[in-house]
Amino acid sequence: MKNAIVQLLDRVRRQAGRATNADAIWRRVERTSIAFEWGRLKSAGVNEESGIGLRVLREGKAGIAGSTSGDLDGLIARAFESADLGETVELTFPSRAALPGVPTEYAAARDASLEALITIGRELIERLARDGVQVNVSLERELGETEIGNSAGGEGAYRATGVGVSADVWRVSGDDVLAISESLEGGDLPDRAALDDIVRSITTRLDAALKIVESPAGSLPVVFTPAGLSAVLLPITQALSGKAVLQGISPLASKVGETVFDPAFSITDNPLLAGRACSRPVDDEGVPSQITTLVERGVVKQFIYDLETAVRSKTRSTGHGRRGIFSKPAPGYTNLILGNGEGGSGKGEGGGLGGGLLDGIRDGLLVDDLIGVGQGNVISGAFSHPVALAYRISNGAITGRVKDAAVAGNAYDLLKRIAGWGNDARWYGSRFGPSLLLEGVSVAGR
Amino acid sequence: MKDRLSDALRASRADYTEIRLERTWRSAVTFRGRRLESATALEDQGGFVRVLNRGCGWGIAAFTSLDQLPAMVGRANELSRAVRLEQPIRLADVPPHQADAVLDLDGDVRGISLSDKKRLIEAYNAEMLAVDPRVVDTVASYQDEVSEYWYVNSEGTALYELRPEITLSGTAMARRNGTIEKGLESIGLRRGWNSAQDKARGFKEAAQRAAELLEAPGVKGGTYPVILDPELAGVFIHEAFGHLSEADFIYENPQAREMMTLGRRFGRPILNAGDNGAAAGLRGTLPYDDEGTPTQDTPLITEGVLVGRLHSRETAAALGEKPTGNARATSFRHPPIVRMTNTYIGNGQGTFEDLIKDVKLGVYACSAFGGQTMLENFSFTAAYGHMIRDGRVAELVKDVVIAGNLFQTLDRIDAIAGDFRWNQMGGGCGKAGQFPLAVTEGAPHVRIAEALVGGDVPGA
Repeated sequence: MKNAIVQLLDRVRRQAGRATNADAIWRRVERTSIAFEWGRLKSAGVNEESGIGLRVLREGKAGIAGSTSGDLDGLIARAFESADLGETVELTFPSRAALPGVPTEYAAARDASLEALITIGRELIERLARDGVQVNVSLERELGETEIGNSAGGEGAYRATGVGVSADVWRVSGDDVLAISESLEGGDLPDRAALDDIVRSITTRLDAALKIVESPAGSLPVVFTPAGLSAVLLPITQALSGKAVLQGISPLASKVGETVFDPAFSITDNPLLAGRACSRPVDDEGVPSQITTLVERGVVKQFIYDLETAVRSKTRSTGHGRRGIFSKPAPGYTNLILGNGEGGSGKGEGGGLGGGLLDGIRDGLLVDDLIGVGQGNVISGAFSHPVALAYRISNGAITGRVKDAAVAGNAYDLLKRIAGWGNDARWYGSRFGPSLLLEGVSVAGR
Repeated sequence: MKDRLSDALRASRADYTEIRLERTWRSAVTFRGRRLESATALEDQGGFVRVLNRGCGWGIAAFTSLDQLPAMVGRANELSRAVRLEQPIRLADVPPHQADAVLDLDGDVRGISLSDKKRLIEAYNAEMLAVDPRVVDTVASYQDEVSEYWYVNSEGTALYELRPEITLSGTAMARRNGTIEKGLESIGLRRGWNSAQDKARGFKEAAQRAAELLEAPGVKGGTYPVILDPELAGVFIHEAFGHLSEADFIYENPQAREMMTLGRRFGRPILNAGDNGAAAGLRGTLPYDDEGTPTQDTPLITEGVLVGRLHSRETAAALGEKPTGNARATSFRHPPIVRMTNTYIGNGQGTFEDLIKDVKLGVYACSAFGGQTMLENFSFTAAYGHMIRDGRVAELVKDVVIAGNLFQTLDRIDAIAGDFRWNQMGGGCGKAGQFPLAVTEGAPHVRIAEALVGGDVPGA
């Protein structure tokens, strides 16, 4: 299907004359999914979708259009109509360049039969079943083809496989609703260890949740699990986007080179990791993928940019252009790696709840999931959320689940000093990192 | 198109087959500050096939290439047969309907140029920017669409609809030193171009609010009597209660079913709530759902007692109840699942002043930045609030986050005013990866005798 883009760009040139620059993305996705609802396999589905997104530059103004219908003339006409209204932007499309090698297509995932997916799901259902608990499991396998091309000769093409597995268990007891979920995403089918991890993660958190205890209150040490960290990290990743900097709303805008966080705190974006669903050799604007260090040992190093935010910020794209068929490109992360570069400070074997950070906590909280993350004025760093899943820590051990509690703090203040790095680093979606022990988190009971 | 659909239905070897086709024209214009962020128009089309066989599960195929339709009917049938079930899936009876419903396009947006749409939203954006020099950034978006929609099933239902939709939204960000505050305006209608005119006032007010919030103190966290304005009360009933009314949560979960037993008392006798997919002129309104079931007004709570829930044909059959027309899909890319339409708290009596006159110290929580619920626990961020002191609305406060337990909170609703209104907002509801679904909420002013209000964040 390489021809789709070549043909489209040819046609743009013919219709508009030489002066017109353009780039396009063509994407085809075939997704196979199965769903076990409340313990039973209920449905199997397939989704086949292809479409093309076009950006044209006419007289220095950019226009965007997308289509799933295959009507190229209509697409071009709409792109020009869009460009006529557009603001001037000095976009330069990347020319042909060598792309880094990164494996994105896995044969086992590509060739897996529906039956193979059902077998994995059924095993999870059986291993998670227990009295008084309902289990949902879903699996999704995606085969994707992406091609990017532009009038400067730049091009990129790759095939990718992706597999997502998610499981959640529900326990309703009187008016107490407990939901514990776990998911994984990767480029290949999950191996045995990965499935074991799902079962262990859910079982560990479920066992510890059966007993409900009163919430502590005050300014307390809180262990945020890799999943629970979202509320603390979201303001930081929003602020590290070149788009937020350009808009003047990033608190980190003027902080490049300054130590803003704990001297062990680093964040890296890495699109070149094998086996990850977000990895790719080239971004959606044809810029070769590269590893970007965003924060290094507490020092702000770099923001992420796509072509347009880069040119408006008088810098270069970092290869973070992301676009759908219908949308204008915007900066987006790939795989985010959070780390202190030297394993955790937690004691004991890895993998336990709390990552070995519970020792020495006399009274505190372990937060695994919060309600309402992403609501409100996130980028300021301030957050305040009721807990969805949290546990009380007393004298170095988890004593039970806390229901009616809320945690609040400011991400910038809390991340100035990280009191402990867990030994439980893992992937949570497209983010890799351990549990963190943060001190002085405001915990309110009810 | 109808012939292609009936041919495909006839060729299906499955016991039950349904097909949806959609063709959508959508345009969108967004300003950020004084700069045009984007102006785009798109054309999206695709189909969805779902089949069922005796002793088997659902087989589903979604696709963008319409000439694949016959092949996709075959694919869906194979997938259904691969899913073996001991307990069969049954569908509650719905009489077959044949209807063409061309909704009032109210000024067909397809006949309006993109530059006219740009001018409209540019003017609303300018209203926000002109309010106050501290309004440093804005986002103003215009979006419209017209969808052609076909639905057929093997039981004889055949529907054609032409559906308009239009949304306008504005965010104003005001800044002073390190503080950034937001004001929001959002309008969503199942109407066309004519309804998008003369909307400048709401944008202006959003910007004024953002600027005023710069001076406002954060609410002091604690437990207060809380009055929800109709907008936040609507979001509350949708998020905190409506999702629990969706029968797919309980139909195969005995413990959940027990929690949601019909006849259970959920609130005081003043409390009435429901979901009305047939209410005239609202964004969540359509004549039929995506299984071909007519929409209706479904009472959920009557005089404080749980009396109903929202169904697809499958959940209705499983619980021996009647389908309610709540099986909805965001597009051809997704299967229909149980969703809300226009969800409401029924009207009460008296005025807003009646609700606050005996409140010595309370919080008046207005409009919503967002809301999330984890079943029985919820959290809402009001866009702004006022303290209530000695029976009167007092100073503006910010960072009003209301959190609580659904059962306790419903039970603590002790007064409902008689000033019901629908919130004609944009945005939409998300569930199971399907977002945004056009829904509307409605309510009068509602008083909660006691609720936890968070807000003061140490160190912030």
